[in-house]
Amino acid sequence: MGESVPVVGTSGAGAPPPRRHWRTGPLWLALQVVLSGSLLLLFVVPIVALFAYAPFHDVVSSWNSEDVRAALWLTFFSSGIAVLAAVVFGIPMGYLLARRKFPGRAIVESLVALPVVVPHLLVGLGLFFLVIPGTPLYRFTQSIGFPVYDTIWGVVLVMVFVSAPYTVLASELSFRAVDGRVLEAARSLGAGAATAFLTVTLPLALRGIVAGLLLSWARAVSEIGGLLVLAYAVYPGGPYDGPVTSTISVYVYNLFQNGNLHDAAAVSSLFLLIAFALFLLVRIGERSGWVPWRRGELGP
Amino acid sequence: MSHQWVVEGVETDLDRFHLGPVDLTVAPGNAVAILGASGAGKTTLLRTLAGFLPVRKGRILRDGVDITTWLPEERSLGYVPQGLGLFPHRTAAGNIRYPLEIRDRPDADGRTRELLEQFHLGSLANRYPSRLSGGEQQRVALARALAADPRLIVWDEPWQGLDVLARYELGLVLHELRESERVPMVIVTHDPALAFSVADSFVVLRRGEVREQCDAATLLRAPADPFAARFVGFENVYDRAVLQPGAAGSLRAWLGARAGSEGVAFASPSYPTSLETAPGWVGKVRSVRPSPSGVTVEVVADELMVTLRAPPPRAGPLPGLGASLRFSIEPGSLQPLGKAAAPPSGS
Repeated sequence: MGESVPVVGTSGAGAPPPRRHWRTGPLWLALQVVLSGSLLLLFVVPIVALFAYAPFHDVVSSWNSEDVRAALWLTFFSSGIAVLAAVVFGIPMGYLLARRKFPGRAIVESLVALPVVVPHLLVGLGLFFLVIPGTPLYRFTQSIGFPVYDTIWGVVLVMVFVSAPYTVLASELSFRAVDGRVLEAARSLGAGAATAFLTVTLPLALRGIVAGLLLSWARAVSEIGGLLVLAYAVYPGGPYDGPVTSTISVYVYNLFQNGNLHDAAAVSSLFLLIAFALFLLVRIGERSGWVPWRRGELGP
Repeated sequence: MSHQWVVEGVETDLDRFHLGPVDLTVAPGNAVAILGASGAGKTTLLRTLAGFLPVRKGRILRDGVDITTWLPEERSLGYVPQGLGLFPHRTAAGNIRYPLEIRDRPDADGRTRELLEQFHLGSLANRYPSRLSGGEQQRVALARALAADPRLIVWDEPWQGLDVLARYELGLVLHELRESERVPMVIVTHDPALAFSVADSFVVLRRGEVREQCDAATLLRAPADPFAARFVGFENVYDRAVLQPGAAGSLRAWLGARAGSEGVAFASPSYPTSLETAPGWVGKVRSVRPSPSGVTVEVVADELMVTLRAPPPRAGPLPGLGASLRFSIEPGSLQPLGKAAAPPSGS
C-alpha cells in the first residue's frame, strides 16, 4: 500500500513524442550543416587571413597611433550621428508607410529603397554636384555653419543617405507586424493614441527597429564609395578638431593604395575586433533578456 | 453600479461592407448575445460600439448621454477583441495593471493583486501570455478589462479556441461576474451553449442588419434565418436556394412551397412515422448514431440530408447503412424562416 498509482491521461505523464525528424533526416541535417558551414567559412577565412598578416602586437600598436584613433573617432562619431538621424527621421517614416494609405505610396517606397540599390559612388557624385563651391546649397551650408565638402558633416550626410533606408524598411515591417487588435484593446482600456503608441506599438516593434538600426550603423561605418567623392579628406571643423583625417574605410584604402599592406591589415583587424565585439554584445544582451525589446518571447 | 446602453439606427461602412441599421438595448446588468453567420458584421458592430469605426448614421447612448463621436479611450468600454489582444510584452500581472497604470491609480498594485486572486491567476502573475493556456489567457483578458472599471464589456468570440474544460471554467467565471459586478455585456458568439447560459437577450445580425432583439423563447419560436435556426438547435435547416430546383412532387418542391423568404427548418421527425397524416418520402440511410436517448438516423432524400430520430434500440436491429427508409414530415412542425411565403398549397 501507499504506492503511487500512475494515472493514465494526466497531462505530462506520457513519454515525450519520439524525435522523428532526427531519425529520418540525418542527410537533410548534414546538407544544412554543409551549406551553412561553407558560407560561414567564406565569412571567416578572409578575416583569419587578415589577422595572420597583421600580428597581434601590430594591431595593438595601430591603436596607439594618433592618426588611426582620429579616423576611428571620426567613423564612430559620424556613424553615431547617422544612426541618430535614422531614429529621428527613419522610424516615423516607417510608421507612416506601415499605417497610412496615401496616393503615391508605392513611389515613396521605391524612392526609399533607391539608396540601397544605387552604386554609392553615384550617390557621392550627386551630392558632390549639389554642394561644390558656387552652388546655392554650398553658400547656404556655409552660412549656417555646416559646410559639407570635405568635412565631418559631409561624412554624416553620405552615411545618412546610404544607411537610413534600412531603418525605414525595418521599422515599416515591424510596425506592420503589430497586431491591430492588441492596439485596439489598449485604446479601449483607456490609452490615448500617443500612450498606446509608446506603451504598445513601439515596444512590440522595437526588436525589428533595433535590427534595422544595427544594419544602418553597419552600413554607415562600411561606407566608402560616396565618401571618396564628397569627403575623402576630413578637415577640422564642427565637432572635429583633430588633424586632417578620413573614415576608417578611406584610411585603409589609402594605406592599401600606398602599398602599406601591413598597416592596412593591422588597422582593418583592429576595426573588425571592435565591430565584432559590439555586435556580440548586442546579441548576448538579446539572449539574456537584458534588453527590453525581447520581453515576452523568453519569459519564465 | 450598472449602466444602460442604447444603439439607435447605427450605420457604418468598412471597405465595401455596410453595417446597419442596428438597434439594440443593453439593460443594466444584462448580457446581450450577438448571433450571425461569418461575414454578417458582428465584429464590425463591436468595433463600431467601441469607437474604432465612425458612425455614418444613428447614435450610441450611454446612460442617456450621446457618445457616438467619443474616442475609444473615452467610452469606458472593455473591448476584448478576437484573439484577446493581450500585450505579449507584458506579464499576466502587467497586462492587468495596464489600465490602472495609464490612469496613474495609486492603488494599482493592490487592485492588480485583487483581480489576480479573483480570477485564480495568482500563481501565474509573472508569466507572459505566450506561456499561458487558452483558458488562462481568457481570464487575464477579462481581468484586464475589469481593471479599467468598464461600463460595458464587449467580447468578440470568448469561447474561440478553448477546449471543453476551459469553456466550462470560463462559463463559471462569466456567471460569477454577472452576479458580482453587474457590468452589462455584449458577446459575439457562435456557441449556443455559451449564449444560452449567459445572455438575457439575443440579436441576430444578417448581412449587416439587425432584425430584432429577442429572448431565448422568441428566438426558438421564430428564428429569423438559417443561422438562427441552426443556432437554436433545429437539426434540419435548408436555405431558400437549396430548395429552388425542386421537381413537382419532390421533397424539395414540397419544402420549397412551405419555406419563408430565407428557407425552412424543422426538428428531427420521429421514425418510424405514421404515414397516414403526411406524405411519405424515401431516403437512403447515410449514418446511424445510437445513444441512450434515442437513435439519430441521417438519410438522403431528393439530395437533401434529413435527420430522423428513432427511440432507443431496446431490441431489434438498427437500420443498415444504405438501406431505404420511408419517413414523413409533419407539416405542422415546419418553421418557415424569414418573411412568410405564399400559403402552401395542398397541406
